[in-house]
Amino acid sequence: MLSTKINKYTSMTAINLQNQLAYIWDTLNRSLFILFIMFIFVQLWAAVYGDGGSPDREIAGLTFVNVIWYLLIAETMELGKARHDLAISEEVKDGSIAYRLVRPYNYLVYHFFHNLGETLVRMGLVFLLGLPIVLYYAGLPQIDWWIIPPVVLIMAGGMLLDFFTLSIIGLLAFVTEDIGSFRLIYQKLVFVLGGLMFPLDFLPNWLQGIARSLPFQLTTYAPARLFVRFEWSLFVDFLGMQLLWLAILGVILWLQYRWAVQRLAINGG
Amino acid sequence: MNNLRAEWHFIKGLFALNLASAMEYRASFWSQIFGMVLNNTIMLVFWFFFFDRFGAVRGYEFPDLSMLYGIAATAFGLTMILTGNIYSFMAYIIAQGRLDYYLVFPRNLLAHVIFSRMHISPIGDVIFGLVLAFWFIPKTPAAFGLLAIGIILAALIISAYGIIAGSLAFFWGNAQNASQQMLGTMLTFSLYPDTLFRGAARVLLTTVMPAFFIGAVPARLVKTTEWANLGVMVLAAALSWIAAVAIFYGGLRRYESGSAINVNS
Repeated sequence: MLSTKINKYTSMTAINLQNQLAYIWDTLNRSLFILFIMFIFVQLWAAVYGDGGSPDREIAGLTFVNVIWYLLIAETMELGKARHDLAISEEVKDGSIAYRLVRPYNYLVYHFFHNLGETLVRMGLVFLLGLPIVLYYAGLPQIDWWIIPPVVLIMAGGMLLDFFTLSIIGLLAFVTEDIGSFRLIYQKLVFVLGGLMFPLDFLPNWLQGIARSLPFQLTTYAPARLFVRFEWSLFVDFLGMQLLWLAILGVILWLQYRWAVQRLAINGG
Repeated sequence: MNNLRAEWHFIKGLFALNLASAMEYRASFWSQIFGMVLNNTIMLVFWFFFFDRFGAVRGYEFPDLSMLYGIAATAFGLTMILTGNIYSFMAYIIAQGRLDYYLVFPRNLLAHVIFSRMHISPIGDVIFGLVLAFWFIPKTPAAFGLLAIGIILAALIISAYGIIAGSLAFFWGNAQNASQQMLGTMLTFSLYPDTLFRGAARVLLTTVMPAFFIGAVPARLVKTTEWANLGVMVLAAALSWIAAVAIFYGGLRRYESGSAINVNS
């Protein structure tokens, strides 16, 4: 019974993965932004660290190479996201959510697994496209390869957290015509308090304290920071915070979803 | 002369209609504007902390970057409010054969296409950009005059670049994503200090993708009141528009009607 349920959802992931691979040029085209933004970041941080990015200079414990690799991982997390909040909002606005709700699957779980296929392809492409620039200007990362599994675990937690937040934003379409502003504000909070533009370690101490207690850092800063400077204590901190925020946002999402479904009125056939 | 006046009245009419239509949903209208102001403010907060931590970077300090950001946001906002079709929609209209709708009107085709859509959230860009620019501008009449001229010229360059990007659909077919990426990339480069880029990147960002003319050059023009910068900007705007008009009407010769019945929304 359980395996049938799981198979149903993993098939959704597989189908969307195939779709993305079938239209790989389109996906590639939409991922090209990483080339430009990584080029800009390299120029910016090379200027900060001294011309060419002095290899030994450390700022807040991070070298030029650390920062550039940090930004590649953080951008991979951000640009690799599938925008299912828009899909939910469209379904709410055009009424097709009613059609989805009667199908034999959970609406939100469907979106998660459907998204997963697209996210995996996009994240892979963004990383691979940004990689040559990073290798050319910064070289290989100074890491131990055994850290990859724990970093991937934190990445997965970050993706789930991001899914919860974007689902909450998507379902806001029940109360507001346009969710674009909410999405934009969330994105920009991830930019600054989530450490997408630079590691939180560069922020003033008082703001670091605030940023570290919020969920935004757990989707981008956490995996990127662990990748460039792995510490077990940091890993445990991030994992604990992710579980806490998953519980909080999960309850909010569940209540909001229940409220939205009850509010839904279907007329005609 | 009469023709020009008629086109001007027509464009004013389009603007009034677009605005009335956008304001029908008041809550959405104001939330989009407020969202954009907040969005830009958060980005500025990043730059504040950046300069607070690292000081000047290649000659740029926080006030310089703020002026650059204010001018670029205002110019981009004005372009998107007035000529909203240039941001990816133009490529879509051409690729889908929807240009038929515009071709049958006894109006200037390019003007009709670009002025037919208005975006709401960029009003927030303009409000944010003007407040920021006024905050950091040298308080002299010349600087205020040059700020207005700089913003208009930057907006002209953005719209010309948008027309060029959208016209790619005449040659490539489905160029909606590409045109959106071209405009988005130019805007991204325009929001960073121009002194970061050297060599070939610098040449590209002043010619093929004229990002420096959106923020860095007009910001320097306002700060230093060097007339040479104004001359360069006028030249860049003129050349951009000559290229845009030539590419649009050159591409139009390749246009094939979609013969489809469209309802414009």
